[in-house]
Amino acid sequence: MPAERPDVLIVGAGPSGAVAAKRFHEAGMSVLVLEQGDWPDYGRARAGFPDFELIARKEWNWDPNVRANGGDYAVDCSDSDVTALMYNGVGGSAVSYAAHWERFLPSDFRVRTLDGVADDWPVSYAEMEPYYVEVEKQFAVSGLDGDTCLPEGEGPPMPPVPLNVVGRMGAKALNQLGWHWWPASNAIATTDYGRLHACVQRAACPFGCPTGAKASPDRTHWPDLVAGGVELVTGASVLRITTDAAGLADGVEWIDRDGREHAQAASTVVVCANGVGTPRLLLASGLANSSGLVGRRLMMHPFANAIGIFDEDLESWRGPMGQYLHSLQFYETDRARGFVRGAKWNLMPSGAPLSMVLPGLWGDELVWGAEFHEQLRARLGRSLIWSVICEDLPDPSNRVTLGGASGPGGMPGAALHYRTSENSERMMAFHLDRLSEVLDVMGAKEKKLSSGIRDSGWHLMGTACMGEDPASSVVDRDGRAHDVPNLFVYDASVFPTSAGVNPTATVAANALRCADALVRDRNRQPVPA
Amino acid sequence: MSALTPQLRELLTALATSMIPGGLGMPSARDADVGGRLLDAVLVARPDLEAPLIALLEPLAALGDPAEAERRLRADRPAVELFALVAIGGYMMHPAVGGALSYPGQQPKPVNPFDINDVVDDGLLDPVIERGPIYREVPA
Repeated sequence: MPAERPDVLIVGAGPSGAVAAKRFHEAGMSVLVLEQGDWPDYGRARAGFPDFELIARKEWNWDPNVRANGGDYAVDCSDSDVTALMYNGVGGSAVSYAAHWERFLPSDFRVRTLDGVADDWPVSYAEMEPYYVEVEKQFAVSGLDGDTCLPEGEGPPMPPVPLNVVGRMGAKALNQLGWHWWPASNAIATTDYGRLHACVQRAACPFGCPTGAKASPDRTHWPDLVAGGVELVTGASVLRITTDAAGLADGVEWIDRDGREHAQAASTVVVCANGVGTPRLLLASGLANSSGLVGRRLMMHPFANAIGIFDEDLESWRGPMGQYLHSLQFYETDRARGFVRGAKWNLMPSGAPLSMVLPGLWGDELVWGAEFHEQLRARLGRSLIWSVICEDLPDPSNRVTLGGASGPGGMPGAALHYRTSENSERMMAFHLDRLSEVLDVMGAKEKKLSSGIRDSGWHLMGTACMGEDPASSVVDRDGRAHDVPNLFVYDASVFPTSAGVNPTATVAANALRCADALVRDRNRQPVPA
Repeated sequence: MSALTPQLRELLTALATSMIPGGLGMPSARDADVGGRLLDAVLVARPDLEAPLIALLEPLAALGDPAEAERRLRADRPAVELFALVAIGGYMMHPAVGGALSYPGQQPKPVNPFDINDVVDDGLLDPVIERGPIYREVPA
């Protein structure tokens, strides 16, 4: 049975919840975690078996509406240019991420100051840096220090994944063009590390890593935390956060997988339910929204890719997936390009064959008839993928609302309202043009360039913005709701801006920074009587 | 046992063979038995596909005209995506297909954690390092 009134109740067992729970637990605080989903079933991680891709498209599907597991809720994306993708279960969306581990750059925290757009973060890179170092140890990050896109400092604890043939081709092309690249950081073990095993390159990172090489909190955090006394309840969907007469959060109401409703008291509530789930819960609770910004400023990183097809066998069905290398050559603002801010590129193997002949990341056309074999032979093992992660600027009209089908307990689903901005469209076009040049230098015989890919909303940010002014933000610099002093948000909802890189490193580092602040200030922390 | 009738299996086989004819050393969908044991294997892996597949095939079978069935299928985007997943997903499970493609499946190959030493020794990173930092300084 959960503690009667834990010091901290965390909603969500993804990266931010895991990092925070670890910090609180180490500080001697009692911690209860409510997770709506279940533990990932790696018995359904089928890389190496003939049914791998068929099962991956259901069990490990990024889209909760397709996966429809017990912890998933309806997300209506009919009014959005981009589909929201996530994993609802122990480990959160790190269960299905590709483990690309990217620190934000110093400029990402000062967008308003440097470029006159969006907002500065209330913290700086220098303040975040020690937390990046710590979470890179927690998440078994492999990489190489000295990257010229970052200030000098301590790097990841393990050497990077190998470049293989694909990575070396990309590196040589970028060298020829005189452009930045660096061996990429990934939350993928390259040696045995803690509970993780060294990667064996099955190119299955987002589809259930059967090796146990990819770091996700269900493997890196929760087993030890649960063994150490943290209470983690799965199948626990939180319906609303409750408050006392003084306006303090005093607990939550939640429903279990059998439909029984529960009331759980807590001294402090920390919401770590992702950029859709967190505003959904705050809106359903009617809390923390005096600014009117809960759910607004949704950012999702407009996504493009450039696929190159080559004559030679690259063995590119294999590899970490995962990124071999990244380039931030065109990351910083140059207004002559016709847009502000920039994007990160990463180079990946193309993986298993099914996706190459079905509509999706390889384009919308259906391969049919005599060309089927030609296309399959040309692509399988002879192709590679450059991806573009574009910075998405905050716009209050891009937002999450309650909507869609209600779930157990009458909890509403979520609805997205999102349009890709003109700045993003120009940014994607520019970067695809540059990547087309890279593919030419690499000797690609065919290029497939795609922008504005709909099923690409992996990164859900900004919907409970962090800031110093209660009129223009939802939480303060430590994640504390301006309106409810013992209610906190630690996930990517708090991001004032999105940067142009994958967010999990910053989600984890920021959650640790915020948890550190709560531990430090706990004697002054107001709690319900 | 699948509820797909022999008539529906035959229609699936015919449509799949139009999508995947034989050639370039590869079997056709019919030769690979996409409507038979491979379909059974697909539905073992993905039982959730059976009902929508039947719902897709039954009205097409009722047409009694394979050419018209193909035309209608290809004009219906969600339907053809489902069909392609079943047909190609099954086809790719045939061992002869992987063999003809020299594709063994996602077999393991341990990473070499010392690969980076060769990258450095080969001087691949030298030009990047020589150009120096590229991040933007920010005001304190």
